[in-house]
Amino acid sequence: MNAFQDILVFVVVAPGVIFGLFALLWLLDWVPSERLMSSITGGTFSASTAGVAALIWKIGSTSNVSVSLGSWFAVGNYHFPLVLMADRLSIPFLALAALLSGLIGQFSATYLHRESGFLRFFLLLHLFAFGSLLAFAAGSFDLLAAGWEIVGITSVLLIGFFHQRRAPVENALYVFGIYRACDIGLLVGIFAMHHWAGTASLAGGFPTLTGARPVILCLLLLLAASGKAAQVPFSGWLPRAMEGPTPSSAIFYGAISIHAGAYLLLRAQPLLAESRLASALVILIGASTAIHGTIVGRASADAKTSLAYATLTQVGIIFIEIGLGWRWLAVAHILGNATLRTMQYLRAPSMLHDYHQMHSAVGGELSPTGTQIEEILPAGVQLWLYRWALDRGYLDTILERWVIGPLLQVSAYLSRVERTRTPSTTVRPRRTVPVSVAGPAQRGD
Amino acid sequence: MSMPGWIFRTPVLTGTAVAAPWLAAIVVSIYRRQARVVGCIAALLSAIASTTLVWKAPQGASLYETLMLLFSGLTFGTMVLLPRRDAEAGTIPGILFLLGSTLLAYSTGNLLVLLGAWVLSIIPFLSASWFRSRKWRPLVALLSSSLAIALAIGFMVAGTGVSSISHLKGQSPGGGAAFALLIVAAIFRKGVIPAQTWVADAVDSGPLMPTTLLLNGHFGALLVVKLIVPLFPETDHLFPVLSYFAIATAIYVAIRALRENSPRRLLAFLALSQSACILSGLESRTAEGITGALVHWVVVTVSTVGLFGILRLLEVRFGENLSASKHLGLAEHAPRLAVSFAILGLALVGLPGTLGFCSEDLLIHGTLTTHPLTGLLLPIATAMNAVSFFRLFSRLFLGRRRTGFTVMADALPRERWILASIVLFVVLGGLFPNPTVIEHSSEVEVVDEAIRAFDNLNRGTGHSDNNSSMNARHPHLSTTIRDAAEVEQRPTGVDR
Repeated sequence: MNAFQDILVFVVVAPGVIFGLFALLWLLDWVPSERLMSSITGGTFSASTAGVAALIWKIGSTSNVSVSLGSWFAVGNYHFPLVLMADRLSIPFLALAALLSGLIGQFSATYLHRESGFLRFFLLLHLFAFGSLLAFAAGSFDLLAAGWEIVGITSVLLIGFFHQRRAPVENALYVFGIYRACDIGLLVGIFAMHHWAGTASLAGGFPTLTGARPVILCLLLLLAASGKAAQVPFSGWLPRAMEGPTPSSAIFYGAISIHAGAYLLLRAQPLLAESRLASALVILIGASTAIHGTIVGRASADAKTSLAYATLTQVGIIFIEIGLGWRWLAVAHILGNATLRTMQYLRAPSMLHDYHQMHSAVGGELSPTGTQIEEILPAGVQLWLYRWALDRGYLDTILERWVIGPLLQVSAYLSRVERTRTPSTTVRPRRTVPVSVAGPAQRGD
Repeated sequence: MSMPGWIFRTPVLTGTAVAAPWLAAIVVSIYRRQARVVGCIAALLSAIASTTLVWKAPQGASLYETLMLLFSGLTFGTMVLLPRRDAEAGTIPGILFLLGSTLLAYSTGNLLVLLGAWVLSIIPFLSASWFRSRKWRPLVALLSSSLAIALAIGFMVAGTGVSSISHLKGQSPGGGAAFALLIVAAIFRKGVIPAQTWVADAVDSGPLMPTTLLLNGHFGALLVVKLIVPLFPETDHLFPVLSYFAIATAIYVAIRALRENSPRRLLAFLALSQSACILSGLESRTAEGITGALVHWVVVTVSTVGLFGILRLLEVRFGENLSASKHLGLAEHAPRLAVSFAILGLALVGLPGTLGFCSEDLLIHGTLTTHPLTGLLLPIATAMNAVSFFRLFSRLFLGRRRTGFTVMADALPRERWILASIVLFVVLGGLFPNPTVIEHSSEVEVVDEAIRAFDNLNRGTGHSDNNSSMNARHPHLSTTIRDAAEVEQRPTGVDR
């Protein structure tokens, strides 16, 4: 391996090593101080960012930096390739992930000072950075899926960060359900790639597929991308995800995670180019999401949700750009949107504080400025749209009524059937445990 | 002073692995003191003997020895993990008896001994003084499976006059009736549809850890690997039926788990759904699918022992009325139990970075190749299981801190060591899966060679086309199968 290959490996692996090391130390009862944790986080991501800068410099002269670490596992002819690759498409995303993770780490050192979950947040931040860097630097769809799933589970655990409250925990479960359902598309898509094309590698481009195969593959990947990017009809999870701490909302739903779906489609663009139907569907989903996002965002009552829908609107437009084949415009759009939204999310808590101070200073509410575009619509339509926006396009209702509800009803029915066929008589009563054997509860037994 | 050579002979080691737990069971039943210590020593002896057997076994032919090591190691872990109230003279002998029977079933190459081990393994669950279930389904299922296998083996031995499994390979002893009875035995013992409900009933109404060990013997899958596939290769067109039953079980139970609020039943559903995938993989007849199934066997066994162990610890500490209908907030009291529970559960449903991810990847890849519908349904079942698991985790561990008690213990040191070992196994196994996967990939021969045995024995029949296409897809596999065929036919286990 040359120096740049070493750098690429370091950039991806370093956050994972930090996560593993500190998680193990915690399991062995050692808790690092906040200062140590934030210093190590700062150092790791500074080094990673410097490493990505070096890779950018290198890629200026060559097309990509690629390193093969062998196979993760191999059986017969099938092997799971461990290939990392930094090319012109992945390098902006790598830079974004390394830089923003470091910034979020520094911001959170103050923001979460003395928070009971301080260490947990930083561990999950490192795990998330590892997952996202792995997904962006993956040299194959197989490895991309591994990073993708790590990002998903980290996202869910951070939504439930304030686990003493019921809402974050329930919302984390909802998001997890959506993620898992949509990830089926990615998994099956990858297996279909292996089956039909004989490879899921990103290095050599896609072998030409004929018939309905490219369409099916695109639709499977689109399912995964739509779930991760909260596109219609899966947009309902995004406001629920705002239950997490603000720094995690910034990096997940303002910057990295929300754009991972777009990255997947950018990677699959050679396939999209072969399928007009899939491209049209990408455009349709993107347009629906953009319209949905802008309408619902206008009726959102809190700053983070408004920002989430603003992000969503832009991601919808990015999907349209990808569907139209405007690849580099989409990349530029992602970079701009991600950095702006991160800044806005991080600014949101203090901005609210500033507004309150300004209101106090002027002795009342500030006069609204500008005009709202929806005012050009008839009053009846405005009212209808407002109702529609308040219920977030009824997407959650539709999902719960037509998917989750029936599934739970079937489950309840099966449970009833099993119970009605179980006689109430028992063979023998459960053994009772003498108090003297049980021992005191605080001893653990 | 060097050890005498006879100690390392296979029959001695196998006999030690099987007899040590049985002797210890008798000792504990009579002496009734120091039950945990005696149990640990016996399980450790079995584990050491099994390790030596694995070490001695030729490359690619250590499947049963590995399973012996896995089961004895996990029994040792269970002995250490058992709460004090469970580690008494009534429970430990039952577990030891089960350990000896299971190891005998794994190691034997004789039909009659296998039948004996099968029956002996369920005796603790029939006896009122040990682990008899309060519900009728487990009793009926275990007895039915024993009756079916007894009849099947009766047909096979009566028809051929031979009881050695290696001598009956590819001969379809006992004909269709024996084959059908073996399938029935596998379905009942494994908890495959339509006999799936007994598993949750057994877990719900019986002692948790012994029942977990009973289920994790995976006797149903063992029957497929040891008898159904090797002895009846010409009925391979019927194997997909078993796969369809298995995937139907995985889906059915995954749906059933979505609304379940009893943690015991819910975990039982998850374990059953995930372990049903093993049968699909075994039947896929691809190197990836079979390897995935064998690795998944390991993952399911290790994870579920850890998960049920943690659940039992929670029951003992916080009361047996745990429910997933509300948030209990136990993570505040037991953060390490919570983290271990999360990692093991996510490993069970295939989180990247754990061994479960590798096994799921191979399983889906293998089954999608031969049965696209099964391959498509597997990730759906796994996704539903993941949601159910996360619901259980969040309800048990997350939520407002409970204040009804004063001091509650997190994992005690002895528990911590065992749980840390299990967690490290699934995580390190996931990060560096090649030793596990390669070991099982070479063991694919044991199953796949059997599938192909018919073709090897009957060159020129229509089945050879099948074999050629398989070899074309997996040249590595075909080579190893040919190599194995030359050195094969060695008798296994207590027959040696």
